[in-house]
Amino acid sequence: MGLDLLFKIAGVGILISVFHTALKQAGKEDMAHLCTLAGFTLVLLWVVQLLGKLFYTVQEVFKLS
Amino acid sequence: MEIIKIVGIGFIVTMLVLMMKKDRPEFAIQLSLTLTIIIFLIILNKVQVVLQLFYDLAEKANISMMYLNTLLKIIGIAYITEFGAQVCKDAGEGAIAGKIEFAGKVMVMVMAIPIIALVIDTIVKLLP
Repeated sequence: MGLDLLFKIAGVGILISVFHTALKQAGKEDMAHLCTLAGFTLVLLWVVQLLGKLFYTVQEVFKLS
Repeated sequence: MEIIKIVGIGFIVTMLVLMMKKDRPEFAIQLSLTLTIIIFLIILNKVQVVLQLFYDLAEKANISMMYLNTLLKIIGIAYITEFGAQVCKDAGEGAIAGKIEFAGKVMVMVMAIPIIALVIDTIVKLLP
C-alpha cells in the first residue's frame, strides 16, 4: 500500500544528491541546482497526490465536509 | 501482525531520512511526510471499524445523530491537526506548527458550541 512510493522517493533523493555533487565538481553549478529542483518537483508531485488521497479518506471516514 | 510491519518500515525510513538529512534536507522531510501519510491511511481503516461500532451502539441507545456527528467531526479535526502540526514541527517550523494547532483548537471550539448551548439549556430547564 504505497510502500514502493517510499523507496522511489528515497531513490530519487539519493540520486539527486549524487548528481548535485557530481555536477558541482564538473563546474556546472547552475545545472546542479536545476537538477535538484526537478527532482524536488517530481517528489513533491507524488507526495501531494498521496496527501490528497489522505485528506479525501479522512473526509470520508469522519464525515467532515 | 500489522504493528510489526509499521515499526519495521518506520525504522527503515528513519535510516533513509538520516542518510539524506545532511545534504538534501528537503527530500528527507518529504520522505518522512510520505511515511506518516501511509501509516495514517493504514490506521484510518482500523478507526473506521471502531466508528461503525459507535454508530451501531448509538442507534441501539437511540441517541440523536447530531451528537455523534459532531463528536466524529471533532475527532477528525483533532487527528488532522495533530498530523499537520507534527510534520511541521519535524521540519523545524515550530511557529507554523503552533498556528496549525491554534486553528485546530478554534475549529473544535466552534464545533462544540451547539452542544454546549444545548447542555446549558437542559440545565436551565432542570432548575426550579
